[in-house]
Amino acid sequence: MIDLFTRLIKVAFAEWKLFYTDAAAVLLLVVAGILYAFYYPTPYMNQTVSKVPVAVVDMDHTVMSRQLTQMSASAQQIDVRYVFSDLREAEEALADEKIYGFMVIPKDMEKTLRNGGSVNLNVFTHGAYVMLHGNIGTAFTTCGLTLGATTKVKRIALGKKVPAAKAMAMRDPTPLSIQTLFNNTGSYSNYVVPSVLVLILQQTLVIGICVLGGARAHRKFRKKFRDSAVENEKMPYRYFGRSLAYFLHYCSFILFYHFVIYNIFDFPRRGQLLPMIAFAIVFLFSTINFGMVLSQVFLRRETSMQIFLFMSIPILFLANFSWPTYLVPSWMVGLSALLPSTFAVPAWLSIEQRGADIFEASALLYPLALQAVFYMLLGLVLTRIRDNTPLKTGDM
Amino acid sequence: MFLDFFRTVRKVYFGHNIVLWLVLLVLPIGTSVFMVDVFSAEILQHIPVGIIKQDRSQLADELEEGLRANPVVDVVLECHDFSECEHAIVKGELQAFVVLPYDLERRALRLETPVIPVYSSGQNYLTNSFATKEIRSVVSSIGANIFTKMMDEPVKVQLQSVGNTSGNYQGFLGMGLVTAIFHLAGILAAVYLFSLTFRDHRVREYLAAAGGSRAILGLATVIPMGVIQSMAMIAVYAYTHRFMAPMTLDEFIMVSAGQVAMVFACNGVGAAFVGLTGNMRMSTSAAGVIAGPAFAFAGQTFPIMAMPFAVRCFAFLLPLTHVLKVQSCMLQGSVGKAHAWDSIAILIGMAIFWHLVAGRTLFMRWKRAAQREEEHDLKSVSLFGDEVKLRRK
Repeated sequence: MIDLFTRLIKVAFAEWKLFYTDAAAVLLLVVAGILYAFYYPTPYMNQTVSKVPVAVVDMDHTVMSRQLTQMSASAQQIDVRYVFSDLREAEEALADEKIYGFMVIPKDMEKTLRNGGSVNLNVFTHGAYVMLHGNIGTAFTTCGLTLGATTKVKRIALGKKVPAAKAMAMRDPTPLSIQTLFNNTGSYSNYVVPSVLVLILQQTLVIGICVLGGARAHRKFRKKFRDSAVENEKMPYRYFGRSLAYFLHYCSFILFYHFVIYNIFDFPRRGQLLPMIAFAIVFLFSTINFGMVLSQVFLRRETSMQIFLFMSIPILFLANFSWPTYLVPSWMVGLSALLPSTFAVPAWLSIEQRGADIFEASALLYPLALQAVFYMLLGLVLTRIRDNTPLKTGDM
Repeated sequence: MFLDFFRTVRKVYFGHNIVLWLVLLVLPIGTSVFMVDVFSAEILQHIPVGIIKQDRSQLADELEEGLRANPVVDVVLECHDFSECEHAIVKGELQAFVVLPYDLERRALRLETPVIPVYSSGQNYLTNSFATKEIRSVVSSIGANIFTKMMDEPVKVQLQSVGNTSGNYQGFLGMGLVTAIFHLAGILAAVYLFSLTFRDHRVREYLAAAGGSRAILGLATVIPMGVIQSMAMIAVYAYTHRFMAPMTLDEFIMVSAGQVAMVFACNGVGAAFVGLTGNMRMSTSAAGVIAGPAFAFAGQTFPIMAMPFAVRCFAFLLPLTHVLKVQSCMLQGSVGKAHAWDSIAILIGMAIFWHLVAGRTLFMRWKRAAQREEEHDLKSVSLFGDEVKLRRK
């Protein structure tokens, strides 16, 4: 037993030594994990978007329309930069991106409302910006509906001859109270970054393993380490020893993200010890074995990097964090089941962001464990095949 | 000269392995089409919500039916108590849940305005905003029917997204992502093509094919790459744009001009990375760091104006930011055309600048590498390590 551990640890140490002395591996397995964790959240440091430049096209020019404009100007999400009288001017400003949306107050709005009629307020937003569409829409809609509510309360009070308080209750007898859990400030970074951190771990680990795995097929590597005891160790020791090195190294990354990155960027940290440990074990073993399988496929060190850089965007969108999986075509869902991130991202969000306990997270951890076993078996088989294949690929 | 040019094109593009065509064409097209199809549902619907029905009244039934009939939300769970729904949210099975409290109807009829609590997970920004908006709409319209059924709402607000009237996410995100993928592809393909000769010690061989001219080698590498990727990008963009309002011919030409300029700018950036670093590994890493997360910096999801100043400067340096602006201007129809020119001019400027940097640095590196290969008698090797014989003129 002791001999087994000694041999495994020997291989693990040799692997550490190898990737700390290989510039490309250091870049991927050490620098990238740290750099990306700081680099990626920086655009979202302000967390929310407020004071989006907008305009109001006032075709009514009445006290009520000016009140509506003032109400809009005081909304937190938007900043009314211009008040136009002509729709064309607003369109020009929108095209020039001086503003990202505008509200059109129709002619005779006040007159119509005072005469008991109803009016339509049109809000136009820039079609290219998802987030601004929501912010501007919410701000202008709230202002418009507030004006509508005031008018309706007056109508109820006058029509049904009831006091204002009663009229207000009749207008909205079942008010809503919306409690936003786990991200009550609506922070964009809190929404995006935690998922991306898991993806960073997966991608850097897989590419890193492929870079080092690729090196093992190189003539120069084989020549240099031909007589090394570790490289001539039995295949299972080599496989699991290397896996152990990556596992311990990436455990430190999970701790780093949990204790440092989450603190610096002020993300909620609700992860409990047991589910975090379970997550680290199944996620890292699944990813490491996935990387070990792929590392047997790529002949060149850089190829995995070139190919996996393209994959990052689809992999992120298949992880159910942004676009729900049930809306993704079923063949893509099937394909995504091969990727650790598909289960790891929701599991991480559930554990770290929403404070899931081990039972709540188990449904997402089981598939990761299955993946780990599947890729481990495949990895062992492919490593055996690679060991027996004479390769003489290029330089290091 | 032309013969040398075409011979070099043949050597560069048809002389080696499949990775080139993967990076140049197959992966950008494949990934782009894949990304567009991820959003094939076009709009968010069937968001799973739960309900806790403490009140067994007609109003509570109406509210439940209203939620069940709504296409955006799906009532997938009727919880017996609060913790059941809460656990489902933690597990990610529910986006939100609505509590219909005891005595809801009775208190509403007495004008006691009983509050209906809605608990929604803010973790997912997009589904959270859609779910709460729909729940609010259902509850307020059914609530309004109790006392003011015959009374019209005095003010109605219609929200329209210019250039994407249906709020189609293939339009919102798909087109931006396609552009981001080609932005990455432009840089990576250039990195691969220009660094391959250094990695495999084949500078002398390639220069020999170009008749010894470094200018011909550079042009024969960059022109076909730019043309192939531009054509691919325009085709994929047109495929994606079919979900949006149709473009006029001049709008199509404007967008295409922006995209061609972006592809050449990206190719220039990739070539310059190789010129500056001198090897495939470092230049691929640099390309990955810069272009990998470029979409996050380009302002289509989180707006540039809300980013810190330093990040805004970085965003300005990315070709992606400018081509996305051209594309978004075109969504505004004829009004947007005049405003797209500035971005196209910036992209052309970037393309020229980066190609000049690449030209200067690569010329020096090619010269030095050829000398080194000669001095050390380095052998050119193929993917499988076989020696490649030089073609002597």
